[in-house]
Amino acid sequence: MNERELLEAAGRLPKSIEPPRDLWPGIEARLRRSRRWYWVPLVAAAAIAAVLIGRGREGYQMTWLAGAGTGTLRVGEWVETDDSSRVVIAVGHIGQVEVQPRTRIQLVTARADDHRLALARGAIEAKVDTIPRIFFVETPVGTAIDLGCAYTLQMDSLGNGLLHVTAGEVEFQGTGGDARVPMGAVVLTRAGVGPGIPYVEDASETLKRALAASDVRGILTAARPDDAISLWHLLRRVDSGQRAVVYDRLAALVPPPPGVTRTAALALDRAVLDGYWTHIHRILFRKVMLRGVRDIDPRTGTRAR
Amino acid sequence: MTDELVRRAQAGDQRAFRDLYQQLAGRVYALCLRLTGDAGAAEERTQDVFVRAWDKLRSFRGESLFSSWLHRLAVNVVMNERRTTIRREQRVTPVADPEVLERGKGEPSVGLSIDLERAIAALPEGAREVFVLYDIEGYSHGEIAELTGIAEGTSKAQLFRARHLLREKLNR
Repeated sequence: MNERELLEAAGRLPKSIEPPRDLWPGIEARLRRSRRWYWVPLVAAAAIAAVLIGRGREGYQMTWLAGAGTGTLRVGEWVETDDSSRVVIAVGHIGQVEVQPRTRIQLVTARADDHRLALARGAIEAKVDTIPRIFFVETPVGTAIDLGCAYTLQMDSLGNGLLHVTAGEVEFQGTGGDARVPMGAVVLTRAGVGPGIPYVEDASETLKRALAASDVRGILTAARPDDAISLWHLLRRVDSGQRAVVYDRLAALVPPPPGVTRTAALALDRAVLDGYWTHIHRILFRKVMLRGVRDIDPRTGTRAR
Repeated sequence: MTDELVRRAQAGDQRAFRDLYQQLAGRVYALCLRLTGDAGAAEERTQDVFVRAWDKLRSFRGESLFSSWLHRLAVNVVMNERRTTIRREQRVTPVADPEVLERGKGEPSVGLSIDLERAIAALPEGAREVFVLYDIEGYSHGEIAELTGIAEGTSKAQLFRARHLLREKLNR
C-alpha cells in the first residue's frame, strides 16, 4: 500500500460508528446533577469567597496502593483504576474512600458541608465518621447519602449494582424511589429503575427472588421477623389496595411501637413511618452488634428466651 | 430540524437534547474511538462530550453547524482528558508494576474490525491523534497544534510517522 492508497482508504472510513450500547442513561443521570448556566453567578461568588479567605482549588489527597505514590484529586478531576490498581482517597477530615480496580470516579464537590463524589462505574469502599448528610456518592441511578457509616458500593455504568452497608446507615435516593439501608443490609440497584427493596445479609434466597420479581405475595410469605426492613419498604411502595395486607404482615412479625397506628401507617404518615423505622432499625442494630454474643429476639430487640 | 432541537435544548428541554444525542452519538463515538483507540474509553469520552455540550449549549451561537461545534468540543474533551491524565500520572507514582498499566493498550478494541481501523488503534498515541485529526477529520496542522497543545512542526512529524507506521503495518 502506497501513501495515496492509504489516504484514499482513510477517506473511506465511516464518519459515524454507533456505540455498542445506548450511552444516554449515563448521560441523562449526569445531566441531572450538571450545573447549568444559572449557577454561574453562585459559582463565581463561591470562587471569589474562596480566594478572599486564602484557599486554593479544593482537592482530596489520594494514595495509590501497591505503590508509594500519592497525589491530589481536585474538584472536577476523575481518577480511574486499571485491572489491578487501587486508590485510597482521603475525604477531607471525615473519612476515606478506597477505590477498587476497574473504577472511574470524579470529585464533584469538596466543601466542609458537602463532600461529593460521582461513581461512573466500578466499586468503592467508604468509611465516613461525621454528621449525617455531608458525604454523597452520585451514581447513574441515584445518590448514596451517608448517615454516618461504612459501606461498599459497586455499580456498572448503566446503574446496575449493589450497596452493602457494614456500619451506620445509608439513604439511597434514586429516580424511582428511595431506600434506607442500615448496617447488615443490602440493596440492589437497576438501570433506569433505581434502588430496589433492601434486605438483610442473611435473607433467604426465596425472599431475594421474590423481591427481585416484585412478587408481593411471595415476599409476604417468605418474610421472617428479621426481614422487617424489607416489609417496611414494601409498605411504602405497594398501591393502596395492597397496603393493608403488607402492614398486617409487618405488624404480626414486628409489633409496632407505641404511637404507630394502623390508620396512620396506611395513610403513609411520615412521622409514624419514621417511628416504625426507628424501632425496626434499633432491633436490627442490636441483633447485628450482638451477633455471636447474645441471641436477640427479632420481634422485639430484647434478649431471646 | 436540528436547529429547532438545538433551540429547544438551549431552553432546557432535555428531550430535545436526547434527540440531538441520537442524531450525533455515532459521529462523536467514532471520533472518540479513533482518538483513544479504546472502546471503553470512547464510551466514557462520548458521555463526557454530551454532558459538556449540555453545560455549554448557551455558548453555541449558530455561527457554525451544531455538528461542527460538537465535533470540536469532542476533540477538546478527549485532549483535555489526556492532558489531565498525564498531569495526574506525573504527580502520582502508580502501581509497583508499571506494565500492569500498559496491559491491554497494545491490542485494538472490539469494534475496530477492518485492518486500517485496527492499525490506527495500534498507533502510538500522539501519532494516532494527528493522523485521525488530519487525514480522517480534515483539520489543518495549525488547528491540530491549537487543539492538542503541540507545535505545528511536531504535528507534521507525527503525521509522517503515523503514515509510515500504517503503511509498514498494512504491507506486512
